[in-house]
Amino acid sequence: MNRNAKFIAGGGVIAAALAYMIYAGVTQSAVYFITPSELRAAPVSGKAYRLGGIVVPGSVQWNPASLELAFTLSDGRGSVPVRHRGTPPDLFGEGRGAVVEGNWSREGHFTASLIMAKHSEDYKAPRGTSGAGYQDLIRTLEKDGSSR
Amino acid sequence: MISDIGHGALAVGTVLAVYGSIASGVGARTGRPALIESAQYAALAVFTLVTGCLLLLSYAFLTFDFSVRYVAQQTNLSTPFYYRITAVWGALEGSILLWTWMVTLYTLLVVLRHRAQRDLYPWVLSVMLGIAAFFLLVMTIPAPPFERLTPVPLDGRGLNPLLEDTGMITHPVALYLGFTGFSVPFAFALAALITGRVGDAWITITRRWTIIAWYFLSLGLLIGGWWSYHVLGWGGYWAWDPVENAACMPWLTGTAFLHSAMIQERRRMLKLWNISLVILTFSLTIFGTFLTRSGIIASVHAFTQGSIGVFFLAFLAIVLLTAFGLLAWRWDRLRAEGELDSALSRESAFLLNNVFLVAAAFTVFFGTVFPLLSEAMRGVKVSVGAPFFNQVNVPLFLSLIFLMGVGPLIAWRRASVENLKRNFLGPVLVGVAAAAALHVVGVRSALALLSLGLTVFTTATIVLDFSRAARARMRAGSRFLPAIATLLLHHNRRYGGFAIHLGILIVAVGVTGSQAWSVQTEATLRHGEAVHLAGYQVRFDGLSAEEDSTHATVIGTFTVSNGHGTPTVMRPSKKFYPQESSPIAGVDYRMGLREDLYLVLGDFARDGSQATVKAHVNRLVSWIWIGGLVLTLGAILAIVPDPQRA
Amino acid sequence: MWKWLIPLSVVPVIALLAYGFRVNPRDIPSPLVGRPAAPFALRTFDGAPVMLESLRGRVVVLNFWASWCSPACYDEAPTLERSWRSYRGRGVALVGIAIQDKQEASQKFISDFSLSFPNAPDPDGKVSVDYGVYGVPETFFIDRTGRIRLKHAGPISDELFRTEVEKLLGEPALDPSVDSQEKGG
Repeated sequence: MNRNAKFIAGGGVIAAALAYMIYAGVTQSAVYFITPSELRAAPVSGKAYRLGGIVVPGSVQWNPASLELAFTLSDGRGSVPVRHRGTPPDLFGEGRGAVVEGNWSREGHFTASLIMAKHSEDYKAPRGTSGAGYQDLIRTLEKDGSSR
Repeated sequence: MISDIGHGALAVGTVLAVYGSIASGVGARTGRPALIESAQYAALAVFTLVTGCLLLLSYAFLTFDFSVRYVAQQTNLSTPFYYRITAVWGALEGSILLWTWMVTLYTLLVVLRHRAQRDLYPWVLSVMLGIAAFFLLVMTIPAPPFERLTPVPLDGRGLNPLLEDTGMITHPVALYLGFTGFSVPFAFALAALITGRVGDAWITITRRWTIIAWYFLSLGLLIGGWWSYHVLGWGGYWAWDPVENAACMPWLTGTAFLHSAMIQERRRMLKLWNISLVILTFSLTIFGTFLTRSGIIASVHAFTQGSIGVFFLAFLAIVLLTAFGLLAWRWDRLRAEGELDSALSRESAFLLNNVFLVAAAFTVFFGTVFPLLSEAMRGVKVSVGAPFFNQVNVPLFLSLIFLMGVGPLIAWRRASVENLKRNFLGPVLVGVAAAAALHVVGVRSALALLSLGLTVFTTATIVLDFSRAARARMRAGSRFLPAIATLLLHHNRRYGGFAIHLGILIVAVGVTGSQAWSVQTEATLRHGEAVHLAGYQVRFDGLSAEEDSTHATVIGTFTVSNGHGTPTVMRPSKKFYPQESSPIAGVDYRMGLREDLYLVLGDFARDGSQATVKAHVNRLVSWIWIGGLVLTLGAILAIVPDPQRA
Repeated sequence: MWKWLIPLSVVPVIALLAYGFRVNPRDIPSPLVGRPAAPFALRTFDGAPVMLESLRGRVVVLNFWASWCSPACYDEAPTLERSWRSYRGRGVALVGIAIQDKQEASQKFISDFSLSFPNAPDPDGKVSVDYGVYGVPETFFIDRTGRIRLKHAGPISDELFRTEVEKLLGEPALDPSVDSQEKGG
């Protein structure tokens, strides 16, 4: 009986430690899924958000030299300026859906640490009408390559 | 035509599997061997039918039969021969077919191997055929691989280019062999509960099956990591994505079961625990499919969703309720015969290992379903990302590495101080010395020092044990190499296990190194400009383009030098597929024991004058793949027939 | 009898997972639901004008699609056509909007599926941004008062179309003056 009590106590300690680790882990790494209009309504700086919306046409500014990307994300009701450092992912484009993860900065924009490009078999993010435009590119590059 | 034959064969297969499952059960209950025998024929017939369906579907792929919807979805006329075969299991319907085929294959193997076993076997057959019946049902209703497409299109959509890769072809095969493999110990566990023979028989019989399943699952996970690393182009191999978690959970509980089974064999303890673990492991394989196919959790690997989720959830509910119901019914027989004598014993080391593994599995489960939980309870959409999984699991995994060193060497029942000193003093000193040496050469990350110190400690215990045994043999007159060979073959179970442990330790070094020391940078370069990273100079030398039957490629040429040796040329690219909405990255990497240089082409100017490149220097990643090879050798050694027992 | 708690403990887990079917994780919760639908004025592929304003007082179903979205858009196209045929007589308006698509490809899609309801391109992407279209296919159900009542992401089923449209048909159109008042605010 005494031995049993010991093992139950040991198990209890382990369970409590695990519960604490899970609790601490959740509070530190929780990411809230919201829409641009919800963020606009109550922005909390420092909290991790995952923001989903449409990249507003004409809003994308990409500076390859400094690797700075800026655009506006909208859900039809509210819009949020987003900044990101790094190349936009392949699926990214104006008028398409995008999900960004990051936080609201005090300077009044959303700093995205991650722009998510989702691949799906049947529910797709739209592609540009110029989707097949890469053929021109290939031709330019092929010409360029043959001249060298 | 093909549609009709396929549909028909699957429907007949479903009926036969249901019949066989019932017949075998009834036969066992009423003691009528004729019924069991007819169930065996049913198992053979089901296997034949499913094999036929698999071949038929492959044939449809090879002949571009676009009247089959699945073929039209997965290939187009430009898909090469090789990928047309592997496209068979490239998406939902075909992968369920492959899965079913494996279940029926395992069923047949069980029939061939264990039909002389009288009391458990009929129930095992019944359960296995029941599982097969479920998968056949899935292929008849929510995910028919032979669904017809009218009007027949002239060309298909084409394979997802991410799947045009050897890793993605072998990964599901290995993973499914692992998943379905666990249905054998599960079936034996259920048979043990039904018959009330909950002793060690089912554990002893299924030992080899469990190792096989566990090995394939491990292999599947490693190949998945390899695919992610060299295809997805984000520079990593594991992201705690729900799909990865789904495969990781049964691995954790399966590993726990492999270890706790030894305690039951040896000490007749943990009967209840073992049966629960097998039930959990099997359920988690079903849960994994449910998770990835139902679309209830958002994932970067978003798969098709549909009514299939409901089927899997219903099956999961039936499995869990039946299995745990039987367990509660047999509660009184599941009491332990042995007892835990001391906290310092092999039993308790194994028990602790089990507790940590199950805790890790629970953590992964909790983190994966957390978005659902928070939405159901609080109505807020919240998810937890990689930091959560790392934070909780790292301490657990480090403890497990430590226990991996302790478990195999500590004495059964009660370890004396003498035993502890003899087995662990040396390895502890070596581990501490290794950590100190790493500190001296400049390693400052406490986590890396702890992880590598523990890894060295555990490696030292393995080396110590093996050299001791080899020396004993040599004292008995053997020469060095023969001594080692006899040791490995005669104690293949023990040393196979040790080799698997070594493999895991090597993987752990790779994971530690890549987490602690990998660096990356991103830069936009004009012609001739270079970016510097960790001693490498990466110079942009221009863009070129190529076109082949399936896609067009834009290739960046980069000249890489690291100060010594001749510069090499690396060509990361972007591939444009007509059927895809966005280009696919073509990673280029140079692998090395110490580090990999890994280049991804980002944005580029249309005239080829400049390009953005992401460069990663990933430390020790190769160790992960090497660990996988060692693990494979260990598993083979552990599976070969035991000369002492045979 | 506490041993029976083991199998019973499975129930909440299964219930939680079943709850997962209710929510779609890919569904970016649309803040537009319950709000007045944004007006649009497009020209169909046949050249006829189509405006939300002129459909006021009718139940409107707005479907965003693209010819390159296979198989989802291909799967739902027959459903849409079927539903349109059975409900057009009851005053339901179905409008298809092709987004990010090439003109010829869209037209081929329409003729392949013999779509008879009005379909229009969204040349500058304005309508998709106004409706927060995140991917295709997406379908919006707009009630007689011009409010968005449901946004469905992914292919639509006959059943969903029927249930939602029947529900909206059963509701009376509100006094238009109230409606325009709210729209102004």
